[in-house]
Order: sequence, then C-alpha cells, then structure tokens
Amino acid sequence: MAHTPNHPVENDIRNTYQWLEDRLPIISFLNNSVGSNFMAPRNLSYMWNFGSLAGIALVLQILTGIFLAMHYKPDVHMAFDSIQHIMRDVNWGWLIRNLHMVGASFFFIVVYIHMARGLYYGSYKSPREVLWGLGVVIFLLMMATGFLGYVLPWGQMSYWGATVITNLLSVIPFVGPDIVVWLWGGYAVGDPTLNRFFVLHFVLPFVIIAVVVLHIWALHMHGSNNPKGISLTKQTDYIPFHPYYTIKDIFGLGVYLIPFTFMVFYAPEYLGHTDNNIPANPLVTPAHIVPEWYFLPFYAILRAIPIKELGVLAMFGSILILFVLPWLDKHPVRSARFRPLYRPLYMLFLANFILLGWCGMMPAEGIYVRIAQAATAIYFGFFALLPVLSKYEKAKPVPTSI
Amino acid sequence: MIRTFLTLAFLATWCLVPGAFAAGDAPALEKQQWPFQGLRGSYSKDQLLRGYTVFTNACMACHSIKYVGHRDMMRAGFTEAEVQALAKNLDMSIDQKLLTAQDDQTAIETFGKVPPDLSLINKARAGLADYTFALLMGYSEDPELIHHSFPKGLPEGAHYNKAFPGHAIAMPNPLTGPDLVTYHDGTPATVEQMAKDVTVFLQWTAEPERVERQHMGLYVLIYLVLFTLLAYVTKRAIWKDVKGH
Repeated sequence: MAHTPNHPVENDIRNTYQWLEDRLPIISFLNNSVGSNFMAPRNLSYMWNFGSLAGIALVLQILTGIFLAMHYKPDVHMAFDSIQHIMRDVNWGWLIRNLHMVGASFFFIVVYIHMARGLYYGSYKSPREVLWGLGVVIFLLMMATGFLGYVLPWGQMSYWGATVITNLLSVIPFVGPDIVVWLWGGYAVGDPTLNRFFVLHFVLPFVIIAVVVLHIWALHMHGSNNPKGISLTKQTDYIPFHPYYTIKDIFGLGVYLIPFTFMVFYAPEYLGHTDNNIPANPLVTPAHIVPEWYFLPFYAILRAIPIKELGVLAMFGSILILFVLPWLDKHPVRSARFRPLYRPLYMLFLANFILLGWCGMMPAEGIYVRIAQAATAIYFGFFALLPVLSKYEKAKPVPTSI
Repeated sequence: MIRTFLTLAFLATWCLVPGAFAAGDAPALEKQQWPFQGLRGSYSKDQLLRGYTVFTNACMACHSIKYVGHRDMMRAGFTEAEVQALAKNLDMSIDQKLLTAQDDQTAIETFGKVPPDLSLINKARAGLADYTFALLMGYSEDPELIHHSFPKGLPEGAHYNKAFPGHAIAMPNPLTGPDLVTYHDGTPATVEQMAKDVTVFLQWTAEPERVERQHMGLYVLIYLVLFTLLAYVTKRAIWKDVKGH
C-alpha cells in the first residue's frame, strides 16, 4: 500500500491493467477480497452460501427502494395513495414494490439462517468476536430499517405498529415520555413522524453497507470458519474463492431466487397483513396489532412479561445478549458437531425461537402468555447455560485436519 | 446441520402461516374456487362486466372505488368505445374515478359511518375474496340465529350477517333478491351469481395487475429453473478436482 518512491511507474495507458494498478489498485483489491487471491476452506457446506446471499438481498433492497422513493410521497394525506399510484400507474411499479416487500422478508430469512449457522459452528468464537459483533450491529440496523419501512405505506398496521413500538421508549426513566415526543415530532405518530421515518429508512441501508464493509474486513483477518470448526494450517486445506465459491454462490442464488420469485409473482402479500390495505386511521384500533413476522419472536418476549419496563428490557436484552455471546460460550471447541451437550441445546433453542414467533402471532391472553413465558425462560436459559457448558462439557475427539 | 434446517424450516412454515390465528374472533369462511387464482388464472371480460353492472347498480349508491375509473378498465381488455359507452350511461367521463354521489354527512346520518372505499376491499379483510363473497351471502333474517348472537336483540340500525366479525353490520343487505340487475350476456342474475361477479370485479379493482403478474411469473420461473440447472452443472464441473467432492 505504502508509496515507494523507487518503484517505476508505468506510463503506457495501453497497458490498462498495470496503468490503473499503479494509480488505484482496485482490481487487485477486489481480487484479494472476493476473487482468486482470497483463500477459503475447501470444506464449506451450503450453509456458507447465506453470507453472500445476504449481500445480494441488501443490494436488491437498495435498488428497488431507490426506484420506489422516486414515486413515493411521505405525507400522511398522500402516502397511501402514492403506494396505489405505484401499484397501478407507474410502469412496472407493482413489480418493483413486490420485489421490495417480499425482498425484505427474504432478507430476514437469509440473515436468520446466516446467524443460526454461526451459532451452530461457533463462528463467533475467538478470533472472530468482532466479526460476529458487527453482524449483530447489522441485524439491529436491519430491524430498525424494516420497522421504519413498514410504516411508510401508512396503512392501519403501519400506523398502529409505529405507535406501539415507539411507545416502548416511554419506559426509559425520567426522560422516556420526552424522548417519545421528540421521536414523533409531535404528541402522536403523525406527519412529522412519517416524513422522518422515510428519511431514516432511506439513509440506514447505506449505514448497513458501511458496516457490511467492516464485517467483510473483519472476515478477511482470519478467513471463514468451517463445518469442523478447526483452525486450518495446511495450504491444501484452502481453495481460491474464485472460481470455486463464486460459482457455488451463483448456484445458491438461483436456488434462492426460485421461491423468492414465486412469492413476488404469486403471493406478494402473503407475508403481509390485510389491515395494511386499510388507510391509517388514528380513531380505529385494529383488533390485533401484529408486527412483521420477522419481529414476532422478540414481540412475544416483550408481551410475555407483565411488567412493561421489564418486558422492554427483556426484548432489547434478547438481541443485545448476542454481543456477549463469545464471552458466554468459551468452550474451546467451535463446531457443535463435536459437542454432545451444546448440539441438542442448540436444537432446542432454535425450535424454541420458532415457538416464540408463533406466540408473537397469537393474542396476548390466556395460555399463549404462559407458553410465551416458558419460551422466554428457555431463550435466556440457553445463554445462561453456556458458561456452565464451557466449563464442564466434554467434547468428542476433534479431527486435526479436514 | 442442513437436514436440521430443513426440518425446522418446515416446522416454521407450518407454525407461522399468517391468518391462522384470525380464526379465533372471525367466523370461518368457506373457500371458493376463483377464476383469477392459480398459475394461469385470469379475469373473464364478461364476468368483469357483470360485476361492474352489480357494483354500479347495487353498491355505488354508497361506496366508491376511488382508484379506478372507466379508462382503467381498458387494462382488462375493454375497448375505448366500450368504456366510453359505460361511462356515458353514468353521465361520467372515462377519466373520472368511480365515486359515489353520496356525501359523507348523509352517510353518517343514515348508517352511522362512512361506507369504506371498495378499491382494495378484497385485500383488506382476512379471508380476502372469500370474505367479500361470504359477507354478501351472509345476511339472514332467521330470528333463532339472531337471538343466538344477540339475546337482547340486534343493536339499533344494525343488520345480522354470518360472515361479519361480531355479526352486526351497519350495511343493509345490498343483494336482497334475484334480478336486481339485467346482465348483458343473459346470465340469470341470482343472488349468488351477483355476489360472485361483484367479488371478482372487486378483486380486479384491488389487483388490476394480477393477470400480467401471473403470466410474467411463469416465464421468470422457467428462466430461473434453467439458469439454476446450468449453474449447478457448471459448479459440478469446476469443483470436480477438489478433494472430498
């Protein structure tokens, strides 16, 4: 990188590659990052496809989002109509909006699988703690962006979802209510709220891009983890990212795009809520206020705890606890394959996470609250058990090479 | 790991089917076969015109479809001359949207509320088109049925409807009997036929892009399957010299 004064600089622009390389070595930079000069373990399974898939999903959201923003109007009197304008009058508007709407859901599916893979193979463990932490930052930013985006169509669920979620901040001691008013730009969710939510929804994805760059930078320090979770020493354990993983990722992209496309063309609103096709009405509260499906497990934790302040703490805590995961689980073996206790516990955790999602969809009453409480206990119990396992769990013999 | 994931994904899909939870407070709706459903689903022009006839005669006195005008119907295959003629019958220009003549104040005095715009109604209620159809067919004067839901009698001004959540609806039965309209194609205008036709028309107003979407989707899917197969073959070829693969 550093400038060496004695290095002879090529001045022949016909030798374009070298000419550019001497001035801005961007091609070799890309080659070192995602090309043939980036070495990856040769035993990565298809579970390792989801990182690049998440990147593609993000780019698709940004591209479709930019085109939607050209036609959308962030005004309480015009927002709902402008969406219908996009769906009916703008050329291919329905396609762009469906791609964006379904794309958001699929982005979350991909990222959830990506995170679950990291959790299974111990990808968060030393020396990849910062890589994992940056991933959690991306996840938080995605949740914020997804929430803000869902408000923009200004349907009933947009309005009431925004009201419920922003109100959560009122539990902050002393300044909570003032913060909520400041956030709203008024004394209720209204025109200033919608306008700023649009601005933030537009800006945050670019912040995500920046954190993704850091995430990939951190990845390159120690390379990808692998299904065996062992540190690789031999040159022969590695293959170049290009062409091996580029073609594997392209195949994976095809497999991903088939169900995605099916949803876009045949069931674009399947994952949405019918109430969001009713224009926002501050005077009529929907029977059930349900967030987007990807928030449901956390929504269930929020509602499981009868004391509002504790519920809010538990909800945010359930995500923030991921930051300290590398220090909760200090077991020397990374991959769950070789951990006879962690592996079943992990399965339970995942199944329990789905159960939480189901609870989040049900009305917060009767038996559903009880189930949600048990599931919340299991959720946090998993993290509480990790330090214990780190100390006492006897791992199966770990292979020394792949 | 991958096997575990597939199992869990299957489980998650079953658990998290949207709308599964709505059964608790809304009456169960009978599933209908609609011509617009399925990979090759479409709208028939005749049925749309029948549904339009029912809407303009039985619904438009109180309800609007504010996102659709006569010109928009050209997207469904109507010619300009045809929509001009339809609009002229209603003393409208083809660029005006299908707005009711009733003003909000009169509506509130008569029904206690402003009747909702129907442009998106088939996408705005749990049950979608099945709900609209069930609602139109759901009126009943059966005293036993009414007494079962309302032991002290129906609320003032309300009408009993099997499909409506809570069963007391402000809207009086719009399809009180057969032959409210005369169809252009001679189809007998039974109550069920009128309810079906207007539901299909309202589906079209909710999703005028639907047919284009479904037809295009098929080609995109065929393309993607071929693309994915080729990518797989290429992947196999590139990976054939990697140890353990």
